[in-house]
Amino acid sequence: MELTFPYTISVRLPSDLEIIPSIRKFVSEVLQVSGFSAKFAFRSEIIVDAICNNAITYGSEGGAESEVEASCVIYEDRMEIVVKDSGGTLTNIERLKDAVRRSRLGLPLSDYGPSGMGLEIVKLLSETIELNVDENNVTSIHVVRKREEVSQAS
Amino acid sequence: MRIRTGQAMKNNALTMEISSHEGGAEIAVLRIAGALDFSGIAMLSNFFDKITAENRSYVVVDLAGIEAICSAALGEFMGYRKRFVERGGSLVFAGLSGNIRSKLTLLGANKIFSFYQDVRGAINAYKWDYKKQSKSLTVAFPASLKLVPPVRQLAARLARQKGYSVKDAFRIETIVDEVCNNAVEHGLHGQENLVEMRVAIDKEKVDISVSNRSDPGKVAALKELIKPVTQGGGTHVGHNDKRGRGLALIRMLSNDMDVNITEHGTSVHVIKLREE
Repeated sequence: MELTFPYTISVRLPSDLEIIPSIRKFVSEVLQVSGFSAKFAFRSEIIVDAICNNAITYGSEGGAESEVEASCVIYEDRMEIVVKDSGGTLTNIERLKDAVRRSRLGLPLSDYGPSGMGLEIVKLLSETIELNVDENNVTSIHVVRKREEVSQAS
Repeated sequence: MRIRTGQAMKNNALTMEISSHEGGAEIAVLRIAGALDFSGIAMLSNFFDKITAENRSYVVVDLAGIEAICSAALGEFMGYRKRFVERGGSLVFAGLSGNIRSKLTLLGANKIFSFYQDVRGAINAYKWDYKKQSKSLTVAFPASLKLVPPVRQLAARLARQKGYSVKDAFRIETIVDEVCNNAVEHGLHGQENLVEMRVAIDKEKVDISVSNRSDPGKVAALKELIKPVTQGGGTHVGHNDKRGRGLALIRMLSNDMDVNITEHGTSVHVIKLREE
């Protein structure tokens, strides 16, 4: 019954911004019971908040009935999170693709408004951000965040 | 249906637009941009006449594009809100900027109108309050006791966030804790054996379902263990009884409980009505 790494926790949530605080807190608590520091957990909470907010605001064209899926894979040395929305408009997808591209190139995202700031924060707090858009315009964003003690040492 | 303002509906920098296809037949979204001063009130009345003629009872006024709003316009909104409330609906505001929100709050509008972050939030609130629509959330986690506290706290937080009292939320937390602990303790362990919890919450009740893979060696004993609680309906557990307290507790705290144990999987379904 002990936890062995890596393990996956997945959550399917309604496209409702009000739910996000409960979800980010949940991920934070899971990380803390898995031996990660409170600081790591809180920073991961910020990442979860930003990417779930984006998924609901820009990737849930179906409205309140659509769902967002968040899968968190917890390793001993890192946390990987994949957030998959239910499909956004082409404009929003292009905007997100461009924002991820700019973030990889180290260009500022401030001109994207609040959503750009969210991605900028995610970039600041994580090691990698990957974006995948399928043929149905369903977007999944994959973020890797390493345990700080490890990433600082390397 | 979308009625655009057109040239005739433009008043200096003020524009208005009704969207009638968002959320359902009873809902109208009125988007206003620019400065809504005294001269814009006639235009506002015109739009509310259209909304009323369409028999819509819940109006979301999207103020995301608003730059200024006068107190006379606020008074108009109050009058319209009263009418919609009388028809079983309401008038709410969405998308307010910090500046407009604080101005409206200073005028005391927050005591009369509900404010929502965006139109979707306002429509969600309508569906929750008027349509009794439920929200459901599913969590799948490896069968480990260490993960039960975050899961039970998630359920409690969700209940609190949806307006349930502290007492109700704590009872929901207790139920989830007991059911998930049982699933971990009596089911198959290991990373590949996930416990799945689904919480569907509406204004009146919480519906909790927890399922896990059964340990074939424990199925017969478990069926025997749950008999007194599920068949007889009793909750009495003797002082010397080491097992069965959790189920008795769930039964006491909930309004309906159903346990299904097979060789393949176990599922527990609990309904808890909102008390306060």
